[in-house]
Amino acid sequence: MAPPISELAFGVDVAFSYKYNQQLGICNGNGLAVCSGFTTSHVIPFINGEPVYEACCRTNVGGYHVTDYLKQLLSLKYPHHMQRLTWEKVEDLKMEHCYITQDYASEVRLFQKGTKEAEEKTRCWQLPWTPTPVEEPPSEEEIARKAALKERQGQRLREMAEAKRSSKINELENELKGLEFLIQQLRHVNENDIPAFLAETGYVSKQEIESAIIKTSQSLRKAKGEQDEIEEKPEISNSEKYTLIDIPDNMLTPEQVKEKKRQLFLKTTSEGRQRAKQKRFEEELERERRNKEDEQRRLENPELYMEQLRVKYKDLSEKVEQRKRLKTNGNENNNVSGGVGRGERLNAAQKERMRLLTTAAFDRGKGEDTFGIKDEDWQLYKKMSKDNDDEDEGPNEDEAELARVASKLREIDPSFFPKSDASSSGTEPSRFHPLTKEDFQILIGVERFRCPEILFHPNLIGIEQVGLDEMAGVSIQRLQPKSQSLEESNSLTNSILITGGSCLFPGISERLEAGIRMIRPSGTPIRVLIASDAVFDAWLGAASFASTMHFQRQVFNKTDYYEKGEDWLRRYQLKCMSLARHGRRKTGFGTSTKGSNWNWNRNRNHKNIRI
Amino acid sequence: MEQEVIESEMILPTHLRFKKVQMHEKYPKGQARGRHWKHLKQIIQAENYQNYPADEPNYVNIESPPSMHPRKQICDITGFEAPYSDPRTHLRYANTEVFKVIRSLPNEYVQRYLALRNAAVVLK
Repeated sequence: MAPPISELAFGVDVAFSYKYNQQLGICNGNGLAVCSGFTTSHVIPFINGEPVYEACCRTNVGGYHVTDYLKQLLSLKYPHHMQRLTWEKVEDLKMEHCYITQDYASEVRLFQKGTKEAEEKTRCWQLPWTPTPVEEPPSEEEIARKAALKERQGQRLREMAEAKRSSKINELENELKGLEFLIQQLRHVNENDIPAFLAETGYVSKQEIESAIIKTSQSLRKAKGEQDEIEEKPEISNSEKYTLIDIPDNMLTPEQVKEKKRQLFLKTTSEGRQRAKQKRFEEELERERRNKEDEQRRLENPELYMEQLRVKYKDLSEKVEQRKRLKTNGNENNNVSGGVGRGERLNAAQKERMRLLTTAAFDRGKGEDTFGIKDEDWQLYKKMSKDNDDEDEGPNEDEAELARVASKLREIDPSFFPKSDASSSGTEPSRFHPLTKEDFQILIGVERFRCPEILFHPNLIGIEQVGLDEMAGVSIQRLQPKSQSLEESNSLTNSILITGGSCLFPGISERLEAGIRMIRPSGTPIRVLIASDAVFDAWLGAASFASTMHFQRQVFNKTDYYEKGEDWLRRYQLKCMSLARHGRRKTGFGTSTKGSNWNWNRNRNHKNIRI
Repeated sequence: MEQEVIESEMILPTHLRFKKVQMHEKYPKGQARGRHWKHLKQIIQAENYQNYPADEPNYVNIESPPSMHPRKQICDITGFEAPYSDPRTHLRYANTEVFKVIRSLPNEYVQRYLALRNAAVVLK
């Protein structure tokens, strides 16, 4: 049975930590404790072994911010690997790779120039990656086997088609024979008996049988693969087909007029088709001719020709680009505002339309309304209407020419690479080539020292407070009115203890020393000491304090609470903090860990005392 | 039991032998909100620091002042020194290559970069 906790005391971890290190002989009675914890950083000056809380200062930057900054930066840099960048992993990365530079500007310049030193300093985290299996080209045997299979299948299909065709031919021939036989029989039949005779066969008249014969023989020809010349026929009978066209309307019956209209329509469409055909043919000829010319020129002087083509391609592509740009954001010069607003997404025509609409909307009641006096005024509505957009221009001549030149270049110039393709593949390379080892790497270069830099420059993450080095200066300054002697402040800087988890970054003591040297007058002795156990010495200090004899007099117990209430508790702490560094009595589980420094708030006390 | 209490079971055992009244007896399952857990801002506000004497150190007045040094401007993307700033996105950048990157960034990423230094547009 654990003993009930009847008394407790609160303390500041930095103070415990400093006292513990003082016990170990690391720092002096006079000194500065610089503690960079998880969410905050504190500087507390010590005089004669007692903390001077009046002169302490706090900046709300700590290890949490460093990790968060690193995590955010990496996940912005590698959005595809966001899932990999868990908090724990990033914390590991921070502890393993981050360091503090002596001079941020010069260090970062190394990276900007891409020197070898910077390359050595860049760390690479290779994510698990298995290369996609390379497809082996099928063996000869395999190819042969596949070809044979295909051939067999083809053969079967062909045979089936052949069988079908022959059976159809057979059928058609039989039908034809039957019909011819019918006709022959008809000749012998009496004129009057024809209907009766035909009633059995299903045909109505002799003509119908004849036409059926023609039809069947035609399809037979088709089935046998003979060329049929039916297509040509309507063109020959052109004049007979449109019989009504040349006759004036008033000489025709209404049906005939209708028929005439239909014929007219048919005629014009067919003529149009003819014309288009003619034109296409001419264009074909023209292209052929041009190609031939080109070919000739190329043969005469291949290099000059290629050069000319390249120049032409460049000109054209620039022209097309410019046109596109004009279309998408009309007058770029007027667009000084620089907003990413709606205006930039409209093209020139749309913008003009919006302008007209807005002016029309806000124009009401402004002076005399003269709209409509001039005829041009009404043009406004035409411009406003949406149909007016010249979106459907289609590919213009330049674009067509560009496509032609590009295709030509592609044929003859192996080094040619069309621009538009290049730009589109440049933005998303991963879509086109398979993922490589490099796509699964996370490089940490500048981030290694950029992230811990926020301890010295919190304004990098938007916290407008002084960094660790200046905090020391602020603390000494806050102490000044109390103790004017220079010697005392010198003795302070002669024993600067850094503690807390965030002081474990390599290079922090040199950097802090350099930073404080800049603030203090020249010749000031400066000694920066690293705590014996930066993470746990606050706990160790509290434990050793709790085991001292006079601890009994510092504690706060239940009777005190009932007697004096919680407000008294708070004041007690502030007054007595400098006298005593408290610990929890008989603590099995710890005092505050690093970071939650000023745990004297009422609520917390309340909770603990209610136990 | 409250969500926080359930989660904190990882560190806090459900049965504490030194307690007369156990947590689960005080706040049985299903009973809504036995205890409010305040966050730092609420605690500070409740404390009314302005009523305390100014020469006494407390949580609020020990905060350190803004820096007196000229502030460092670094490129938001690369971390290099940034002589330029883009008027459209308000991102700082080091050179033309970074500028190209900035202009091709989607707005969401721009805002996230800005949020890193507490300069993002916050819609309330």
